[in-house]
Amino acid sequence: MRVTVDQSRCQGHALCAMHAPDLFDLDDEGHSFVVADPVPDGLGEAAYEAEAGCPEEAITAEPRRPAHPGQARS
Amino acid sequence: MSAGTESSAPSAPVFCAAHLLDSWDERYPQAAFAELATATDPVRPDGTLVVAARQDMTEFLRHPAVRATDGVHFNLGGKRPLIPLDLDGETHRRYRGLLDPLFTPKQVARLEPAIRARTSALIDAFADTGSADLMPSLCGPLPTYLFIELLGLPATDLPVFLEFKEAVVRPVGATEEEQQANMRAAGDRMYDYLTAVLAQRRAEPPRDDLIGGFLTTELDGERLTDQEIVDICYLLVIAGLDTVTSSLSCLLAWFAEHPDERRQVVADPGSLPRVIEELMRFESPVPLGHRWVTEDIDIRGRHFPAGSKVEVIWAAANADPNAFDDPQTVDFARLHNAHVGFAAGPHRCLGSNLARLELRLAVEEFLRRIPDYEITPGEQVVYTNYGVRAAIRLPVTFPVAHG
Repeated sequence: MRVTVDQSRCQGHALCAMHAPDLFDLDDEGHSFVVADPVPDGLGEAAYEAEAGCPEEAITAEPRRPAHPGQARS
Repeated sequence: MSAGTESSAPSAPVFCAAHLLDSWDERYPQAAFAELATATDPVRPDGTLVVAARQDMTEFLRHPAVRATDGVHFNLGGKRPLIPLDLDGETHRRYRGLLDPLFTPKQVARLEPAIRARTSALIDAFADTGSADLMPSLCGPLPTYLFIELLGLPATDLPVFLEFKEAVVRPVGATEEEQQANMRAAGDRMYDYLTAVLAQRRAEPPRDDLIGGFLTTELDGERLTDQEIVDICYLLVIAGLDTVTSSLSCLLAWFAEHPDERRQVVADPGSLPRVIEELMRFESPVPLGHRWVTEDIDIRGRHFPAGSKVEVIWAAANADPNAFDDPQTVDFARLHNAHVGFAAGPHRCLGSNLARLELRLAVEEFLRRIPDYEITPGEQVVYTNYGVRAAIRLPVTFPVAHG
């Protein structure tokens, strides 16, 4: 499993790094980057949570999983 | 940040924010916001287009034709474009590149001891009395004191800032023209104050604070001009003072009225970061912002003509039932909380990490000192939703710890 951050979309909300510090860190400008690739065992849910919790839709976790009804996704 | 809600009188029964502002329950605007989030293509009576659905917002905000200003109207009593709020495109990115590094979680973490100490000192003043109005005794002064420390200004200048932010955020005046004039007058006084401070600081040895940083930093190999520094500080004053004051008042009011949830947090302070995100979603203290569309665009089936002014209602998106499970319920275990309490897009709140830290530490310190409190019997919380949502009257009573 992989998780990626689209740098052209990230605006530095920092929620991913706050909730999943084992997967994301912030650069000097506060933008997110992935620190664990591939996603280690046991952090899959955290990766999906970060994807669904990103206000800029900048995070993608793959493989996809069926949409959760509470996701702010189109 | 918000430019405040403009109070145009609702004439037609159009589904719009202005109509809601006149009819909603000040204590509980979330219900009205949820209704707005599910309305089809809402507009204000004056024709301003409204973006309120969470699912439309992210795509709208990141469109390159969506701008912060039209180049004529600036936010919050500014006589020049506020840096970086009123800038766009490459110019905006350059300033954010300069400012963002000052407000990362790691940078602001250095302020933790100062925040705890100042919070503690403010609580000391009323902890033995068994009652307090938390707005004037804690929520109001705390962010202003911290901001003064951050900039490196004397604490005795506190009244200058309190007066300024009140005048700009809740301008006095019988008509909109009068309010605008009063806001601009307060803005002029703040520009003068900051210009004088800068002149003094240039004459002194450099210091390790924000102004010291601005005086020595370089943007594309050049030092910032006095005007740039004054403009940046002007925005930080507005953005940093009332928003945290208001947010903290909403949080402490909510905990006063929800004792079970408060006890959970007292028992597990480590849950506070997630709790604060959920309360920022639910309370959405900064309810809206404005954008201008520079060319004809279509977002998710809706047309925005070139030249449109658009009101983006963060508070509605945060209450959108199509984006959040049961949005009217505060759920500390909520997953998928892609809230826009700190706005979104290129103008996402610059100070959000500082705001989060101040809120977390202030709530933590308050609940450590006063874990058991309630709204004073016979009184109630008074909210305003004008400009920024805040508990402007927050009278609480609590048992006094002895020994």
